[in-house]
Amino acid sequence: MLRRSTTLAALATVAALALAAPAALAKTTITMSGSTSVAPLVRALAIKYVALHPGKVGFKLQQGGSDIGINDVAHGRVTIGNASRKPQPSDPGGLVFNRIAYDAICVITSTANPLPGLSQAQVQSIFTGRTRSWSQVPGARVHGAIDIFTRTATSGTADAFRAIFLGNTLSVAASAPAKSSNGLVNQSVRTDNNAIGFVSLDFLRGVRAIPYQGVACTLRNAKSGQYQGIRPFSLVTRGAATGAAKAFIGWVQHSAAARAIINTHWIPLG
Amino acid sequence: MPEAALAARLRPARRWSRPERAELWLGALAVALLALIAGMVVFVFRQAWPSFSGNGLSWFLSGGNANTQLADIYHSPADPSHYLYALRAFPILYGTALSTGLAVAIALPFSVLCALFMVEFAPPGIARLMTPTVRFLAAVPSVVYGLIGILVLAPWINTHLVSESFKLDVKPIVPIGGGGLLLATLILTVMIAPIMIAINADALQNVPRSWLEGSAALGVNRWRTMWRIGVRTARPAIAAGVVLATARALGEAIMLAMVSGSFIFSPNPLDGLNFLLEPVQPLAATIVVNSEGLTVKPFGQTLYAFAAVLLVSSMMLSITGWVVRRPLRRQGVR
Repeated sequence: MLRRSTTLAALATVAALALAAPAALAKTTITMSGSTSVAPLVRALAIKYVALHPGKVGFKLQQGGSDIGINDVAHGRVTIGNASRKPQPSDPGGLVFNRIAYDAICVITSTANPLPGLSQAQVQSIFTGRTRSWSQVPGARVHGAIDIFTRTATSGTADAFRAIFLGNTLSVAASAPAKSSNGLVNQSVRTDNNAIGFVSLDFLRGVRAIPYQGVACTLRNAKSGQYQGIRPFSLVTRGAATGAAKAFIGWVQHSAAARAIINTHWIPLG
Repeated sequence: MPEAALAARLRPARRWSRPERAELWLGALAVALLALIAGMVVFVFRQAWPSFSGNGLSWFLSGGNANTQLADIYHSPADPSHYLYALRAFPILYGTALSTGLAVAIALPFSVLCALFMVEFAPPGIARLMTPTVRFLAAVPSVVYGLIGILVLAPWINTHLVSESFKLDVKPIVPIGGGGLLLATLILTVMIAPIMIAINADALQNVPRSWLEGSAALGVNRWRTMWRIGVRTARPAIAAGVVLATARALGEAIMLAMVSGSFIFSPNPLDGLNFLLEPVQPLAATIVVNSEGLTVKPFGQTLYAFAAVLLVSSMMLSITGWVVRRPLRRQGVR
């Protein structure tokens, strides 16, 4: 008797724990898919948006690269496709790229090796592993092997770096150690005179940001459009956005709250 | 005694505080906990299954570059029927075994000798100071060790121990920097040794005094007495300490992610001493480094597969510890 009630009470406890998670509420859901680089920004924006408009709208976010987002939205599988690149002629017709922010990436070296600048060809040659020694790089103050640091596959910054600097056809040498955050890349480059890596704009402390194609990597140059290492983030819709998606995109583009979030790691519009 | 007070004394205890009820609730909580753990194991294995079934037994073998394999899985097409799972995880398993095994192998003799000193040979003042120090060291969060490793030790190793020519030679295959097997093993050893020392010292203290005195009475010197009677008797506890320390080393993620070289690789013993400078990436570290990508389904399932292997290893570890301790216990304390 006692044993049976013990089991029953155990089942009741488990059931109570399982039900503790709130059931999904019925409301408008904006579905999104696409760029892994845009995802962290959009996730932060969506959380804020839901907090400001409780119970009205929900979000469902899937990742998988800009092309996937663009294809998904073109086929009506999602409300919004997230893209971290400009529109291309090969994209399906009838899409609207709603630009929401920019992303800038700096190539960095140790302060012991203040390179005067790198061209795109040089960056490509170094990061793909063709140029292995600093003595082959004009202006280098150190000698010996070039220690490349990259990011783990899941990094949006790595994705952006590849898209902007390597032109998407090349990839970073497979023998480069992959760090899991901007901070760890900064730390590795800072403590290794022979190192080179890439980070987002706000991780430049203690390292040297290398001018790219003759333009210094600063927030001002990025905002003015002179610095080439930037790319736009867009929320792509099929035709002009309508309903809940329109309200969300409008909020992202114009509200102060959204701008504050964008300002944390990205470059706001205009 | 006034009537009311007496009546209150004699009133039966309230329903919820009756002993049999307490028993019921405690039992229910225990069963619920077991059910939750079982549920978690089932969940992890269900999530992990596509990764195992997509690769078959070759999941456990080596081949190709596991770093690029993981990247390819992460960049799988969004269509579930085209998910990629191809992975040869041997370098990760080997790296786990190597860093854990080496750390335990170094920490074991060191911790036994250290505990012997603390219990038997140290002057009372030093012993009084050492015991709380060891306890404190055993409780230091691993991320602190990781920070010291990456801020101080890794740059030092990179400038003083890494040979430039070796670095250039292997550059196209594997990056050599400060972090690697040497640093990972070193910090792991520092991390797990205090636990083993504390457990060993407790066990040595619990060796019946009469046994040691009996040995001393026969004219055996102190060292021999401690070694042949003390350590011998404490063997089950030493084995328990090894199991606990191995479990901690196995599950260590953050620290290893910081200092092990950030590159999945199987260090090659044929490289001589440079073997120690080559990077590794143990299971738990691989999970934590890649956790950003959990939302990509096939990638998340691959991470769950690592978790499943970790679960099975710790289970086997517990069983091994139990099997080893059983025959030892017949002639030892505890």
